[in-house]
Amino acid sequence: MNKTIFFATIFGLLILGSCKKFDYFQDNPNNPTMADPSLLLPAIERTAFSTISADAALASRYLVYTQGASNSQYYGWQRGSMGYGNITQVVKMEQEAARTNKPNYRYIGKFFKSYFVVNMTQTFGDIPYSQMMQSIMYGNYSDSSAIRPVYDKQEDIYRGVLDDLKIASDSLSSTSVAIGGDLVYNGNIEKWKRLINSYTLRVLMSLSKKENVASLNIKQRFNEIVSNPAKYPLMTANSDNGRLPYYDITGNQYPYFNNNSMKTDYYLDVSFVSILQELQDPRLFVFGKPTPSSGGPATDFDAYDGLSGSAPLAENTAKRGAGNASQINDRYAYTATNEPSLLMGYAELQFILSEAVVRGWITGDASEYYKKGIKASLDFSNYNNTYSSDLIDAYLASAEVALVPGQEIEQIITQKYISMFMNTGWQPFYEQRRTGFPEFDVSGAGILNGGQIPKRWMYPNDEFTNNRVNVENAIKSQYPGGDDINGIMWILQ
Amino acid sequence: MKRTAICFLLLLLTFCGFTQGVAVTGTVRSAEGTPLAGVTILDKSTGKGTNTDLAGKFTIQVATNATLEFSFIGYTKQEIALNGRRELTVQLALSEGTALDEVVVTTALGIKKQQKTLGYAVQEVSGETMAKTKTPTPLAALTGKVAGLNINNTTDLFRNPGISLRGRTPLIVIDGIPDPDADPYKINADDIESISVLKGPAAGALYGALGVNGAIMYTTKKGRKGKLQVEVNSSTMFQTSYTVVPEVQTVYGNGDQGRYAYSNGSGGGAEGGGWIWGPKLDQRDPSTPSGFYETTQYDSPIDPVTGQRIPTPWISKGKNNIKNFFRTGILSTNSVSASVGTEKGSFRVSANHMYQQGVVPNTGLNNSSFSIGGNYQLAPKLSMDAKLTYNREYSDNYPVVGYGPPNYLYNLILWIGPDIDIRDLENYWMPGREGLQQRNYNLSWYNNPHFIANELLNGYKRNNSFGQATFDYKISKDLSVKFRNGFNQYSSIADVREPYSYIAYSYISRGNYSSDQSNYFDINSDLILNYKKDFGENFGINVTAGAANAYRRFESVYTSTDGLTIPEFYSITNTINPLKGSNLLRERRTGSVYGMIDAEALGFLYLNLTGRYDKTSTLPIENNGYFYPSVGLSAVLSDKLELPEAISFLKLRGSWAKVNTGFISGNNPYAHINTYQIGPKWNNVPSLIMPTSYISPNLVPETVESSEFGAVIGLFKNRINLDVTYFSNLDYNNFQPVTLSQASGNSSVVKNANIFQRRGWEFMLSGYPVRGKNFKWETSFNFSKVHRWLKDATDNGDGYLGQIKEGQRMDRIYITESRTPDGQAIYNANGMQAYTPFGQYFGDRDPDWIYGWQNTFTYKNLSLTFSVDGRLGGLIYSTTNQKMWWGGTAKGTVTPFRDDANAGNSTYVGPGVVVTSGNVEYDSYGNILSDSRKFAPNTTPVNYISFMQSTSGAMLNNYFYYSGTYLKMRELVLTYELPSKWVKGAFSGASVSFIGNNLFILSKIPNVDPDAERDELQTPSMRSIGVNFNVRF
Repeated sequence: MNKTIFFATIFGLLILGSCKKFDYFQDNPNNPTMADPSLLLPAIERTAFSTISADAALASRYLVYTQGASNSQYYGWQRGSMGYGNITQVVKMEQEAARTNKPNYRYIGKFFKSYFVVNMTQTFGDIPYSQMMQSIMYGNYSDSSAIRPVYDKQEDIYRGVLDDLKIASDSLSSTSVAIGGDLVYNGNIEKWKRLINSYTLRVLMSLSKKENVASLNIKQRFNEIVSNPAKYPLMTANSDNGRLPYYDITGNQYPYFNNNSMKTDYYLDVSFVSILQELQDPRLFVFGKPTPSSGGPATDFDAYDGLSGSAPLAENTAKRGAGNASQINDRYAYTATNEPSLLMGYAELQFILSEAVVRGWITGDASEYYKKGIKASLDFSNYNNTYSSDLIDAYLASAEVALVPGQEIEQIITQKYISMFMNTGWQPFYEQRRTGFPEFDVSGAGILNGGQIPKRWMYPNDEFTNNRVNVENAIKSQYPGGDDINGIMWILQ
Repeated sequence: MKRTAICFLLLLLTFCGFTQGVAVTGTVRSAEGTPLAGVTILDKSTGKGTNTDLAGKFTIQVATNATLEFSFIGYTKQEIALNGRRELTVQLALSEGTALDEVVVTTALGIKKQQKTLGYAVQEVSGETMAKTKTPTPLAALTGKVAGLNINNTTDLFRNPGISLRGRTPLIVIDGIPDPDADPYKINADDIESISVLKGPAAGALYGALGVNGAIMYTTKKGRKGKLQVEVNSSTMFQTSYTVVPEVQTVYGNGDQGRYAYSNGSGGGAEGGGWIWGPKLDQRDPSTPSGFYETTQYDSPIDPVTGQRIPTPWISKGKNNIKNFFRTGILSTNSVSASVGTEKGSFRVSANHMYQQGVVPNTGLNNSSFSIGGNYQLAPKLSMDAKLTYNREYSDNYPVVGYGPPNYLYNLILWIGPDIDIRDLENYWMPGREGLQQRNYNLSWYNNPHFIANELLNGYKRNNSFGQATFDYKISKDLSVKFRNGFNQYSSIADVREPYSYIAYSYISRGNYSSDQSNYFDINSDLILNYKKDFGENFGINVTAGAANAYRRFESVYTSTDGLTIPEFYSITNTINPLKGSNLLRERRTGSVYGMIDAEALGFLYLNLTGRYDKTSTLPIENNGYFYPSVGLSAVLSDKLELPEAISFLKLRGSWAKVNTGFISGNNPYAHINTYQIGPKWNNVPSLIMPTSYISPNLVPETVESSEFGAVIGLFKNRINLDVTYFSNLDYNNFQPVTLSQASGNSSVVKNANIFQRRGWEFMLSGYPVRGKNFKWETSFNFSKVHRWLKDATDNGDGYLGQIKEGQRMDRIYITESRTPDGQAIYNANGMQAYTPFGQYFGDRDPDWIYGWQNTFTYKNLSLTFSVDGRLGGLIYSTTNQKMWWGGTAKGTVTPFRDDANAGNSTYVGPGVVVTSGNVEYDSYGNILSDSRKFAPNTTPVNYISFMQSTSGAMLNNYFYYSGTYLKMRELVLTYELPSKWVKGAFSGASVSFIGNNLFILSKIPNVDPDAERDELQTPSMRSIGVNFNVRF
């Protein structure tokens, strides 16, 4: 008996004793808890530089959707979504940069943070800014001020962003530890500075209605950059573009590659086709394809026609079915790499500078900047060398293109608009929102929102659940008509 | 010490000598005279026992004046004093009803207990019920048979049925050993002796955290004492007809706005974007050669001169596409088992093979099991029991489910017009481009269903082994110790062969091969001490104490090509771009001590107490230990009180348990550790991402506090029995992602939060309404309900979790389609559905009740068993119906409005209203604060096709939430037991049965079978009919 118990006990001890201690299981063998900042940078860049959006193209009257009634196109907008999760990644990169003493990542981080914040404030108006990221930065999960951050005024947000961008450009250093994992500039700090300064000019131009607000000091900030190219270099050519190239590797391909809808349901908007036809702009040949009924060659301007973004769906599907509409060019759905996605391109910078001259912010030749911008855009979009350099030169020299006194802003913004077809995210929509150019057609019977072009999106549902008091206060202080897509945010007033 | 041992030995010898006795032999028969096998014979004085063999014969060594007790389930117990006799012939009479006093069930840890002593609900289902009619898994055979257990059977091949016991997924236990992996395919139904369902936390408390949601315990068949018994059981069922099959319209073909002309298969232009909103079929047109309207189609001939397609007649060739695609499914199971035993020990071996031929061409499943088990008296006080089962599941191809291009149903039911004959697509390669390009009527949206079935191969192979070895040592008459080790192991390979030109969303394959290999192992070791003592008539006690260790390890490696260099050559080395891969290792451990006291007092009061302390690796070290108690009380009043004669049995029971669990995620043992996640690579540059959900370092175990009350009443000598249970479970300290403003940097914190309550009722009514000499009717009806409420939203000051307010049920459905307070659809000025910025409450998801009814009629050698079950209430969302209305295949879309739309006219006015003035204000949780809206009927005519494409006609179909109420004829078995005189000599018994499964359904949801309680495109529900042969040697 005793023997058996003895053996049983030994057995039991063997089984229990051979086990790994509980400490052993406190490490996750599948995922790391610490990392070099170079491992965090790629995902941040991928998010920030992925700007290709068919919804933006529908809302901006480039394209018309035929598979159903698109709310983006008919302006039946509801809520937008916030992107603070992107800033979380930036904060983690900054923390890892501090831990490993690689300060360049922190300054690049300041740029990304500013970029994500600007995108959100353009979408909604006031947003949490000064108190954001308290939980992830300090591990504070109890204080109301951390888990329910207050909303800041747009004016204060922009001041903070502009200050941060300046610090980023001032502090990035090609002599400190190089950055790795850089999908955009492969660690070239000089090119990063060019992008950051060019982007700062975009932010300043987006505040053109606030050029006299003293706290922002827009004109002076603009001048400070443009007048000091040694300290504040700007993009010099398309090769400086802030862009993410696509690759023929599954998951790294152009976002609409092989996309069923992109193959069948996206047609050029008739208003966009008209602009290109009137200008005899060869970019039409790389944006769209001739209508089936025309049977015409791709280089015949008259072989193109579009659908109406405000017309009822049935009207558009009928016109499509009759073969009288130009689909988006095949390259958007049938090529794996197509064109890079732009956060900001050299062409846009030239249009900003041109507009700044027209507005009297800086001195210079508006037309020269303007033509440089057009040339850069034509070069960028010249897929498979569809149009010759002679054609480009002829276009630049044409009377339709030349700046006409009194209409410069409209012409500059229209060229900027053309240059941003299926690229640079919602920027063309925001430019139209700021300047009114080009005019977006809302005359059709399919239009929603009482025939108005929305000015913003409603705040997301999760903020009402998680940060109710602050979001309600923000609405009250900005929009007398409530959280409405037609509310006019501060930068537009 | 030595002397004591010798004394003990001497004593033992004396004892043995004393009990030598005489050999008594005999036969036990029923009142009709048939021999009864398996009757238990017990020597009342020594506790020694035996069983009768198949001929009803027994031999037992007893003292000459012993008293023998004969007992057998369903028969009245009989005691016979030998008074010197050496040979006996015993006749047992059928008992009047179920002897509720004597029912023994298997409880936690595999311990058998008398049901009347339990303070909690346990229901046992005999393995007999699944012997004849076969379901793909034994779990499916439990459908409708256990109150409180909801089994959701899918119609798809090789998919696990959903299980929910009191609203949660219970633990699966095989022969006392937990099987956390719970693969329902690994158990051979013919090996199952019984299934015991432990319904609540009190019953499962001894399994610790694993048993927090109750348990389903399989007890497998053991070797029996007696001569060799061999049993062959064979069932074959054919799926020849449909119980539910989607009915599609056959009037209109592919296309959009009534137009269709094939050009290149891209779906663009006049091909209509892949819609089934094309021209009307079979329309006379005297101007064409065929006399019918003609247009170019994918199979139109090409004019050799112009290179253009020649229009062909637009006729409904494909009216029976669905039926023409499927084939007859087969479910065939064959098993053989042998058992033999002596006084010293016994063993049983079995082999089983199940073959399922899928109704989808080129799909199937094989499932083989071998098991060997036995027990042996190693020494007078030491016995052992062991069992080992090997099981292999293997399928070269089984269908992908869900809404999407890899599912043949997507391509067959939703996105193919009746202008296409599915049989014309059997040649699925483009001529001259075999292996590279599939042939189909559309080459950018849809796959040819035959191509999917034959080329997109979804394989799965899995080897399971599991078993246990138990040593049992009787230290003294009252004290025993048991040492048990049980394990579950599997290795599996899931591989996918993806052909060139296979289409998914935003993806056209360049060919791919992927392989996902997994290895799993768990071991559970228990050392259990048991002490049993009776203190006279009125008090008895049974104490169990144990220590346990559980360890689990899962590892897997996934590798995939990125494109194939050589088409149709499915090898990892054949990749175009660098290989993609990942691996995973998951380990966990739980150490436990536990104890249990069963006390019996005054002959009618029974008390069960359990306690367990667990230490788990899945929580932070500081909080990783936790204790949980349970108590149960049972009072068999009918044993103590004088009750009216009609009441033959009355028991009241109650139990309370507090069970903790330290498993934050069922699968991931590291869910308490904040880590980066591996992000995707960009141009082969690696990346990491920090999840925005933060895990609190201060997590404590999650707790379920459960109270349960029940009563069992037996009426008219237990001919009618009623068992009622009410339970209420409070779930608190739940591991919940508590949302934060995402501006804080984290979208949520996983912490202990929120309190939920689950309450429910379970009723079981059973009995023998008729119990004659030749004719018997046994029936059992059960129904149950369970719902879950939000009790306390601990982290929201306003008392909300999402849109759900404290006190409301958790299964509320919200929709964002705008409706008036009385439920009419609200339209925008453009005649299309309007939407609300906050979802509005629409209904509840969970069934009000689920029910099942089983019946067995026996007449002489003939028996008829049938089982009916279903549910009442609750809404089920139907993807199939929504997509049919959206895409144009729904029968309801055949209306004159559709012809108008085809002619280019906008004539359809959506039923409902428009807002003429006023507005509606919501609070932050979507509650309506004020509503000054005025409505007028909607009068805006729109194009019918545009309307359906934009709204799916949701407002016409209750927004595709259908009542889940249904009644299903689950199974029907007609068995003829061959008379013993026919089989005498050859067999000891044989039977033949005609069997049917899933015979018909009455339900409120069109086109799909609500059995699975959800619909994301499902295989048509098939009727299975077949035959079973059972032969015993």
